[in-house]
Amino acid sequence: MIKLNDLENLAKKYRHDLFEKLLLIKQGHPGSIFSMMDIVVSMYHGGFIRFDKKKNEFLDKVLISKGHATAALYPILRDFGVLPASEWNNWGHKESLLRVFGNTSIPGIDITSGSLGHCIGSGAGMAISYKRKNQDKKVYVIISEGELYEGSTWEALLFAKHNELDNLIIVIDINSLIILGNTKDCLNLEPIKSKIQGLGIKTSEINGHNFNELITAFESVQKSNELNCILAKTIKGKGSSIMENKKNWHYWNPMNEDEIKKTREELS
Amino acid sequence: MFQRDIFIQEIIKKLETDKSIYFLSADFGAPALDILRDRFPNNFIHCGISEQAMLDIASGLALDGNNVFVYAMAPFLSLRAIEQAKCGPGLMKLPVCLISVGVGLGYADAGPTHYSTEDFSCFRSIVGSSVFTPSDVSTTKLIAQEMLNNPKFSYVRLDREILPNHQSETTANDYKKGYKIYGSIDDKKIIYISHGKMFHKCMELFLKEKDKFCCIDIFKSKPFPKQLATDLATSKVLIVVDEQSPSGNLSSCVHEGLSKLNVFPKIISKSLPEKYIFENGGRKYLLDKFGLSTNDLLEASKEIIK
Repeated sequence: MIKLNDLENLAKKYRHDLFEKLLLIKQGHPGSIFSMMDIVVSMYHGGFIRFDKKKNEFLDKVLISKGHATAALYPILRDFGVLPASEWNNWGHKESLLRVFGNTSIPGIDITSGSLGHCIGSGAGMAISYKRKNQDKKVYVIISEGELYEGSTWEALLFAKHNELDNLIIVIDINSLIILGNTKDCLNLEPIKSKIQGLGIKTSEINGHNFNELITAFESVQKSNELNCILAKTIKGKGSSIMENKKNWHYWNPMNEDEIKKTREELS
Repeated sequence: MFQRDIFIQEIIKKLETDKSIYFLSADFGAPALDILRDRFPNNFIHCGISEQAMLDIASGLALDGNNVFVYAMAPFLSLRAIEQAKCGPGLMKLPVCLISVGVGLGYADAGPTHYSTEDFSCFRSIVGSSVFTPSDVSTTKLIAQEMLNNPKFSYVRLDREILPNHQSETTANDYKKGYKIYGSIDDKKIIYISHGKMFHKCMELFLKEKDKFCCIDIFKSKPFPKQLATDLATSKVLIVVDEQSPSGNLSSCVHEGLSKLNVFPKIISKSLPEKYIFENGGRKYLLDKFGLSTNDLLEASKEIIK
């Protein structure tokens, strides 16, 4: 079993790797990537996404509904050997397979996403297919809280609950920021927990940067025979004081040498 | 028999041996669907009145290797869920077949919220889609069989009414071409091109005066049937009839398809007007009132002769 300290170090390393890449390509969504980094590191390196070493593929599916943050998976997939290191190194070149938004042509990426509000539905479709075929597979869907503004998200939650999709695990990355500001100021979503619980979905609330809480939450949902939703409270741009809780760091921004140096130090 | 029942019956037959087929409904029924639900409950999914989620669910099922059919009233399946169709079966090239029922003014008693007079132009603009509009039983069956044996992203436009059969059935060879010609194409004849219910109006004229008219039933409009350009290479004027709004309808499709192949006949478009229709009176009354009566089509031919 991997130690919590190791997970923390991996997440830091991946943030650093991704920062260097985004700095190079001068695009991407670091705020959103960094807010969910600890979540995906826990899922993959915590052993919750089962890996078949012989086939070099994951047994369970991970759908990043907040497609602008799919790049968070690239260094993880690289380290598992699913994504060739050459592809990672090639990112930023015209003929590169990797893009800011993920798609199914990239090894290890299970869905083409980018437009918000699609993946609970797609995940529910996969999950119901596995259940009806009696296949032991789980589907993890990570959405941003901003996707709670999309009607299709709620349609799909109703569907998932009605069909008791206990092999579907929904994680909501709640970093409280959307492009124009704080969600509570733009259009309040709270109380998110009671709204989702109100649908009859088992809902837990954790600190999305606390590895102990993350591992405990994933252990719990794995043992559960109910549809589960984890509300992970996070910080947009986590790890970089320049980016943390800054709405303008949803996208990449130009940085001066001092800012680059400072961010490198913080992520090292 | 209703086109939807014909289509679903073909799915039922295939389900006997192929359990990878899933049929999703957004609370839309049919007598044949009752049979499907009863006999194959594991292959039916009720998605609620949630066309958007239904398309996303369909994409998830298709990503697991299933052949998925989604089924709803045309205006809601097409326009409400069009972005889901793009991002799922479109972007990921998934075998999802949208069965869209009640195209045109099919729901004439319900009013413009229920009319589907834009779906043709919308769906033919989605990259990777195939678009079908059958006018009879034999073609409906052949389309269903193709979607079952060669699953792909497709949009099938069915009429709400029972449409009469033609004198001869669509053959495998006709189907392969994507259209069927009634009568012969020559310079002296007026050529009508249409699909679905409106094709029957063209056929009324043809059956009365076979020496004056030729009718082409273009049941597969996307991809555009290339051979049609060869057949129409010397044609000077075409009357294209579609129960859709004026922009992007079948006449646009025919114009684009032929011009890409360097065939440039004059195209007279007979379609619905650029307005939302609130009038009562039923479909026939509305078609007659808004320029799509058989007599209107005949008048268009007289203009050409003049």
